[in-house]
Amino acid sequence: MNLDGQSQCRRLTVSPDPARLTEIRRFVEDVGQEFGLDGERVFDLKVAVSEACANAVEHSGGQHHPLEVCARFYDDRLVFEISDGGDFRLPGARRNARRDDRGLGLPLMVALMDEVRIAKMRGGGTTVHLSLYL
Amino acid sequence: MHVWSKMQRGLPLVVVQGEIDHGNSSDLQTEIDKYLQQGETKLLLDLTDVTYIDSGGVSVLLSTVRKVRERGWLGAIRPNADVRRLIEIVGLKADNGFRIFDDVNSVEAPTASAASTQPLAHEDAETTAP
Repeated sequence: MNLDGQSQCRRLTVSPDPARLTEIRRFVEDVGQEFGLDGERVFDLKVAVSEACANAVEHSGGQHHPLEVCARFYDDRLVFEISDGGDFRLPGARRNARRDDRGLGLPLMVALMDEVRIAKMRGGGTTVHLSLYL
Repeated sequence: MHVWSKMQRGLPLVVVQGEIDHGNSSDLQTEIDKYLQQGETKLLLDLTDVTYIDSGGVSVLLSTVRKVRERGWLGAIRPNADVRRLIEIVGLKADNGFRIFDDVNSVEAPTASAASTQPLAHEDAETTAP
């Protein structure tokens, strides 16, 4: 990402805890409204970002790497990057998966966003990029 | 999220207000399971005041429908347009096991034969679409 992109990042850093999802959604709401998105698109973004964060919380493995949500504004799109220190895993692949239907997160992200990219970072960690085109 | 429930016209009515997400969906599951464990197979879920739902909440709906569909149904009351869209995206469509009502008053009262004391259904209930 170039320096110009970095400078336009709106950032929220939270602990990987499902209880922080509300705060993350308020952040997404603020960014979405600032970007002029309608209510439906804001709702879609909230769900997609929540799913990415919930995945990150699940595969953080209790190691408490902070969860970082970064919103980048471009002329033609809005991109949310959700980064954490864990390795990406499909929900439900873990032994202690609590319920069925835990694999819905990724399909929902794909259904609701224009583009979804998952990057395994050098040195560990995962970043999920969620893009909405204008 | 705020969850409460009551019996209304012979059916369990679970009312949810606010946001259902990964952090609180187990509370909703617990409230629903309370009635399933009592043998109820038809259950109403009032979503009128639900402003947000993600896969945490949707998975509760899906698993509930799976549990009741052979003998009953889950009825969602007045989900807003966003919630309804998400429900449809995950493939939860109105059918034998899942219903959407515009109003709690449009739900038919259970008949006497539909009491929760009826014997267990057997393998004759696979009538839904594949």
